[in-house]
This record gives sequence, structure tokens and C-alpha cells, in this order.
Amino acid sequence: MLTLLEQLDKGTLWQSPGGIHPPQLKTLSNQSTIARLPLAQRFVVPVPLVGEQAILTVAVGDQVLKGQMLTEGTGFIYLPVHSPTSGRVIAIEQHATNHPSSLPTLSCIIEADGQDAWCELIPHSLEQLSKNQILDKIKYAGIAGMGGAAFPSHVKLNPASEIDLVIINGVECEPYISSDDRLMRDYSDEILKGIGVIHHLLNPQRIIIAIEDNKPEAAKAMQDAVQRSTLPTGVVRVTVIPTKYPSGGEKQLIQIITGKEVPSGHIPAQLGIVVHNVGTAYAIQEAIYQGKPLIERVVTLTGEQIGQPGNYWLPIGTTITDALSAVNFSQSNAQKVIVGGPMMGYALADLDVPILKGTNCLLAPSHNEIAPDVDEKACIRCGECAIACPALLLPQQLFWHAKAEEYDKAASFNLKDCIECGCCSYVCPSDIPLVEYYRVAKSALKIEAEEKHQAEQAKIRFEARLQRLEDEKNAREAKAKEAAAKRQASMKSTDKDAVAAAMARIAAKKAQATSATTTPEAPQSTVDPKKAAINAAIERAKAKKATQANTVSRDDELVTSTADENVDDKQAKIAAAVARAKAKKAAQANSESTAQTPNSVETTVAGTEPSADAVDDKKARVAAAVAKAKAKKLAQANQTDDTVIEAEPTTDAVDDKKARVAAAVAKAKAKKLAQANQTDDTVIEAEPTTDAVDDKKARVAAAVAKAKAKKLAQANQTDDTVIEAAPSVDVVDDKKARVAAAVAKAKAKKLAQANQTDDTVIEAAPSVDVVDDKKARVAAAVAKAKAKKLAQASQPDIDEAASQPTVDVESTVNIKPDVALTDASDSADLSPEQVKKAKVAAAVAKAKAKQLAKRAEQEEQ
Amino acid sequence: MTSIFIAVAVLSILALVFGVILGFASKKFKVEGNPVIDQVEALLPQTQCGQCGYPGCRPYAEAIANGDHINKCPPGGTATMEKIAELMGVEQEPLNAEAQSSVKKVAYIREDECIGCTKCIQACPVDAILGAGKLMHTVIAKDCTGCDLCVEPCPVDCIDMIPVETTLQNWDWKLNSIPVKVIQPEQEEQTC
Repeated sequence: MLTLLEQLDKGTLWQSPGGIHPPQLKTLSNQSTIARLPLAQRFVVPVPLVGEQAILTVAVGDQVLKGQMLTEGTGFIYLPVHSPTSGRVIAIEQHATNHPSSLPTLSCIIEADGQDAWCELIPHSLEQLSKNQILDKIKYAGIAGMGGAAFPSHVKLNPASEIDLVIINGVECEPYISSDDRLMRDYSDEILKGIGVIHHLLNPQRIIIAIEDNKPEAAKAMQDAVQRSTLPTGVVRVTVIPTKYPSGGEKQLIQIITGKEVPSGHIPAQLGIVVHNVGTAYAIQEAIYQGKPLIERVVTLTGEQIGQPGNYWLPIGTTITDALSAVNFSQSNAQKVIVGGPMMGYALADLDVPILKGTNCLLAPSHNEIAPDVDEKACIRCGECAIACPALLLPQQLFWHAKAEEYDKAASFNLKDCIECGCCSYVCPSDIPLVEYYRVAKSALKIEAEEKHQAEQAKIRFEARLQRLEDEKNAREAKAKEAAAKRQASMKSTDKDAVAAAMARIAAKKAQATSATTTPEAPQSTVDPKKAAINAAIERAKAKKATQANTVSRDDELVTSTADENVDDKQAKIAAAVARAKAKKAAQANSESTAQTPNSVETTVAGTEPSADAVDDKKARVAAAVAKAKAKKLAQANQTDDTVIEAEPTTDAVDDKKARVAAAVAKAKAKKLAQANQTDDTVIEAEPTTDAVDDKKARVAAAVAKAKAKKLAQANQTDDTVIEAAPSVDVVDDKKARVAAAVAKAKAKKLAQANQTDDTVIEAAPSVDVVDDKKARVAAAVAKAKAKKLAQASQPDIDEAASQPTVDVESTVNIKPDVALTDASDSADLSPEQVKKAKVAAAVAKAKAKQLAKRAEQEEQ
Repeated sequence: MTSIFIAVAVLSILALVFGVILGFASKKFKVEGNPVIDQVEALLPQTQCGQCGYPGCRPYAEAIANGDHINKCPPGGTATMEKIAELMGVEQEPLNAEAQSSVKKVAYIREDECIGCTKCIQACPVDAILGAGKLMHTVIAKDCTGCDLCVEPCPVDCIDMIPVETTLQNWDWKLNSIPVKVIQPEQEEQTC
């Protein structure tokens, strides 16, 4: 048993299956040497890889030289495109390309300048270059397979596996084509040099130049060249193979030369075999030894329609129109121009398309040469196609499924192994264009596979997106949880309480609105920030008002008072002052009616007292004392003198001067009030008490108090029924007292409202007077005077009860600002800041009083 | 008499042995989930367009496995329906009326009109739209499934569904059955 190499050396050939013997018409074009046509004016160079793997290096209007690179790119299978001649880029646009579809492809349109000037060429010898440099040079020369498939040659010259055998394909089995034939005859030495480069790169054990026996001249020329070549003897060998179509097919040729079949879905390199075209070998030689890129190739222009058939060097990018017109192409009606051979070529729809690297033949046959398309008839299942098929397929089955569009079934009959050689169509007695069906089926399968791939990608992306959304959602939730936990941890003392306080406020308001009894919340006691304090103060004030208005039980008040104890800042004081002022007014409003309930007055006192104690400020104390005193006075006015004694100890506790003064004033007032109820002498009695007080202000305040007392007394006198109600209230328990108070209040309000319009004006004036002591005193004096007059006026006419109340109420309303005035005048001695605040408090108090009055008016209406 | 007992005993032993084998096999070779769902899903085009009324191809595959109609997938077209019919062993059903158009389309954003609202990005089931807030968006045509879902949310209506361009790579030889004739535009002569 001979080894493969021995058999190769011996020239043993194997049979390839199938195949046909179409009539040979190579003589039409192979009689003359390869000629050159005059330079065309316009070249169309497709740059299909631009945008995918490459970028353009030229722009419209650029001057280019012959051989200049038009694109630049990376990527293993990227091949550069070169300018076929010197000239100018006149357009870069979509142009129909040399393809069965004639679809437009991005192309550089180059206008030749006629110089045909080369760019700088760098020739090398093999010794100068490393293998990688050689491969790069081949790559950047843009060399692609010249046999028709135009696969980048540098890829095939740099295989992953060891190459034992290189086959140089000079078979050229298509009936009309003779470009390789002529190339071998005319450029055998150059081809051998190219083979030398391939040998240098791959270092195979054997290089077989395969030539069909219908080209004896070419075989002889190559044989001679091999003899002349410097390659090691015995490595290169010319093998003549019998003529049969399609022996030139890569897999068929391998089978003929070696007897090995390339498995389906594999490439020959996996068997250690590489097949290169003779044209490629020539181009490699040009690239290495001359530095010329692949910008022209031998094209067979043949067919009976062509006047001068033959082989021509055509620059790549020459349009087929130009090429044909240069060889006296006579266009007949509906005549096709076929690119490639008659067996595998395709008819062009448009002749303004360029010659490409794989375009080896342009066939312009007459009607005699190729029969016009005939209608296909039904498949008779003769099986001729199966005999002819070089790939050992079952063409009729493929046809069956392809026609039924059952492409997956066609695929199961190994459709992908069809080389589209056309043997089956050639032998078909029913004139079925079988290859057309296979091409359709193949493209459908390809599209299907592509869609499936896209669907998989889409699914992956969809799932990735879902995963991402899910992750984002989880992350968001985790973050929110974390933030919540953090918030919870950080708001321990302050925020939580603030929130609670706010909630309490809301609750308190609601309670106020719905029921009269409000119970301010205990949480206020822990409030320390300003706002909270203010809120608490307002809360308190409201609560007090509510209690005063409705006589809430004492316990509730104590709660609010404890809340006050913690209040230590200024605003709180102001608020407290405001609250006090309100309380006073409310108390006064109650007292106006003279149906003053002891309970309510006492509770207000109880409420304000502790708060005043807690407040360490002088002013606050003073104000508190004043408030206390007044409240007591009011209470006493209705009851007895005993309360005055009760008031004294509380005031004694206050160690401050002013406090004492205020207390004295209060005492005096209380006495006066008490006396007013009994006799008119109280005014005289009150005077000595004021003597004891050394301060002028105290006197003023006392005067004011006196005036008030009088007025109140007068009011009591006028309305006997109210006086009668008061004692009764003392006796009865809370409920009844409340009822009575409510009745009294309502009455008082009515009375007050009768005179309200005028009162508000009078009230506003004194508030301005608060500014300094003098004015205050003047105002106080005025007030006093008024009060006296009123008192005098009311005294004689006791019977005029109907008219009097209005006057009384007027006077009481006048007293209100006076009270504020006294407070303000007291505070004026302290600090300007405090004075301001006091004033503010007074103003607020006044405003509140007005509001109360108005509200009462509205209620009445 | 003894032969009866032997027979009963032998059959009982056999029953026991086979029972154990079957029990073991059912545990050992237990199939998780419904394999039909995966098979149906593999046939669906994975556009995730929701035209079937389900939120994605997988839910529709599940629905088909549970006996839903097989004609609800417009992107898959008749071919997909036929495959599913074959797989499920059910009668073929004509596709819904609106599902006839089989031309594959991809979304295209008219970029100078895009206001950068990101709504289309949120709508895209396959993350094929690229962009950021207040910046121009664009569609990665390669990844676009042509599901139409981005068209609706666009507030400025700047998304077009354009048919996929025919290139040399995806050109269908079927078109060649009608001889290709290139009609040159008039202007081309003037420019050349």
C-alpha cells in the first residue's frame, strides 16, 4: 500500500462522483495572449465593508493614485480596497454592484486622470520579511481568492493546523473560461514565484498544480516553470487531471487528487490541505516582489456577442459596460450578460456594475450558444440529477422539499452541501432549474437561521432586562427599608416627639371642634425645640380659652401647667403672655356678664400660676402676678373679700419689687372690686393702698384697676338678675355652674355686641399709647376719668337698666386696653427687648379680644 | 394447588420488583416543568411584542401548552403557526386578520425630533434603544425585534417602523424568479 505522498508523486488520481461533460468552448477566448484594454474613464470601486469593519480614507474630491488604499480597517478577515488607477474621487455613493440582485452598495466612483500613476510601491524579497510581515503584505495588498469565491487569501495562508498539501487550482472546468489557462501559459514563472511564497509560508510536503487535460499548453508551461524554479525538487508537481465538470470545485479537486472527501461542514485545512487558485498565486507574487496591491485581474470576455473575445487585464472597478464596449460587444435584444461561466454564473440585471476580484469571466452568449429559458416541466423522478450530483446529494428530493417550501426537510437532505454547480439542472430532462430552487431554499434557511439567532439574542436580552428590572426593584426596596430603619433610629428623641406633638395638636383641635372639653396632651412636657414650644403655648392658650369658656375641670389645667414648666425660652414667654392676655380677656368677658363662675376664674389662676413660677424672667412673673391678681379680683368681685387674703400669700411669695407692685395693684383692685359691690366708698379705701406703693406706675395701675372695679360694680348693679345668679353658682356643683356660666356668657356677649363697633376703635387707640410711660399714664388717667364718669352716670339712674348695660359694656371694653397698658408699662422698666415683646403680646391680646367680640357677634346673628 | 400459590407468589414478587423500579425511575428521571413549553417557546420569534395578549413569548408558550389558540403570533407568521400546530398536534388556524404583514421591520428614531424622554427605552422589551434623559435616543437596529412597543409611548411621534433594508447578505434568491431589472434614476446620468 502506497502512502499518500507516494501516490501523489506517482500522479495517482481518484474518481470524484457525478459530474458532466459540457461542450468545451475555451478556444473562443484562449487563442491570444492576455491583452490590455484602453484605460476607462470611470471606475466603480465597491467598499462594502465600510461601516462594518472599515472606514474610508478618502473623501469626495480627493486625488488618488493607482494602488492607493481607499479603506482602512481592522478585523481578521478585513481586506483593504485600492484605487485601480490615478484620478479623483468624484462620488462616494450607493451604486449597483456585481451581484445577482444588483443591489446598491456603497462605492467610490473614481474618475481617471489618464496618468495611471502608481503610488509608492515597496518591493521585497522573501528573505527580508518574516512570515507575519508576508501575511500582512498579502492582506494589505487586498488579495482574495481569484477563483470566484473571493475569500481573503491571508486567512487561508495562516491556518490553525499543519498543512501537508497545497493544491494550486488551475483546473478551470467551466466550459467558457480561459483566464487561468492564459495566465498559466503567459505568466508561469510568476505563478511559480507566488507558489514559492505559499511554500515559504505553509511549508507543505507537496504542492500539486492541478490542470485539466484540456489545457495541455498550460500544463506544459507550468511544467517548464517548475523545472526552472528554485523550489526544492520533488515538492512541486504538475498533475494533469481528466476533464470533467466540476473538477475545479475545491472539494471535488481534493477528492480527485487525494481520494479524501472533505466532511460535510468542514474545511479542507482540517485535512491538512489548502487549495489556492493560480490567479491568487500570481497576485501574491505581485504583492510581495513588486509591492503591487490587487487592483487588476485577468477576465475572460467571451461569447459570440463579443467582437474580440479573449482574456484581458481589467482593473478591478472597471464597469462591465466599459469592458464590453472596448471589445465590440453587440447588444442584442433581451440578451443576457453572464458573470462567471455558463454553469455557475448569474445573469446581470444592470451592466453598469464593476468587475470584482472574483469576476473571472464575462459571457455574452448569442441565442445559439445558450438556449433561452424553457418552461419547466414536472419532475419525472428519472434520477439523472442524482447521478450527476458531485456532492452525492439527492437533487430530486431537495427539489421536492424546496418547491414545497419545506426548507427544514430540504436541510435534512444536506442542502447545505450543495455547491450549486448546476450539473443537475444541466442533465434534467424536464428543464427544471433545480439550482434556482436550491438557492432560494438556501437563502430561506439562512434567513431562518439568522432569525432564530436573533430570536435567541432577543430572548437573552429580554430575560436580562427582566432580571435587571427585578434587581433594580429589589435594590430600591432594600434601600427604602434601610432608609426607614435609619430614620427610625435617628428620630428617637426629637422628630418622633415633634410628630407626636403635631398629632396631639391635630387631635386637640378636633376635640375642640367637637366637644368643649379639651385635654391637652402630656407629651408636650418633653418638647424642647422652639417651634414645639410655640405650638405648645398656642395649644395651652387655646386649651385655656376652652376651659374658661366651658369650665373644664381643674385636673386638665394642671396638666397644661406642668407642660409650661419646661418652657424656658423667649418665644414661649411671648406665647405665655399671649395666652395670659387671652385668659384675662376671656375672664373679663365673663366678668362683664357678672355671672362669673368661681370655678372658671380659679382654674385660670391655677393655670397661670405655675407657669409664671416656672418662667424665671421678671417680666413673666410680673405679668403672671398681674394676671393672677386680676383673676382673683374678678372672682372676688362676685364673692367675698376672703379671696383677697388668699391672693396676698401668693403675691408675697414673689420676691421681686415689681411683682410686689403688681401684687399691690392687684390687691387694690381686688379690694376695690369687692367694695364696689357693696358700697361706693371703696374708691377712697383703695387710695391708701396705693399710697403704700411707692411707685408711680403702681399708682397708675391702681387707678386703672380702680376704674375697672367701679365699672364692674356698676355693671353688677344694673343687672340684678345676674348678681343673683352668681351666688347660686357658688353653691351648686360644676355642671350647674357651667350651665349658668354659659347662660351668663351668652347674655354678656349680647350686651357686648351691642356696642362692639365703637369699642374696637377705642381699643385700637390705647395700644399705640403703650410706647412710653407718660402716654400710658395719660391714657390711664383718661380711662380712669371715663370710668368715673360712667360710674357716676350709672349710679344715680339705677332704674335705667335698659339703657345702662350698653354704657357698662362700653366701659369694660375700654378697660381691656388699659389692662394691656398696665402690663406694658410695667414691663417698660425692664429691657427694651422685653418691652417690645410685651407690646407684641398686648397687641396680640387686643386683636384676640376683637376677634372674640366679632365671633360673638357672628354667633348672635 | 401449590402451583397456584407459586404463581401468585411469583406475580407478587414481580409486581413488587417492577413497582420498586418504576418508583425509582419516577424519582430519578423526573422532568421538571413542562417540556412542551420550552419547545413552543423555541418556535416563537421572541419579539416579546405582546401582540398575542401575553406579556412576552414565554407566557404565550405556556398558554399554548395549556390549550390556547396558536394563531396569535403575528411576528411569527404562518410558518410559526404551522410549526406549533405540528408540534402540538392541533389543527392549523389562519392568523388573525391584522397579523398578515410579514415584512420585518425595525424601529427608527428621527433623531433630530427626539426630546430624550426615555419612554421608548422603558418600553423596549429587549433593551435595543440607546439613550439617556434629555439626550437623543437611537435604536440598535441589529437588536430591534420590530415589536412596535416603542412607537406608542413616544410623546413626539418620532419613531418610525421601517422595513429592514435588503442587503447582499439577506437578499432572497426568490426575488430572482422574476428577472431583476434595475431602473436607473434620471438624475444619475447627470451626476456622472
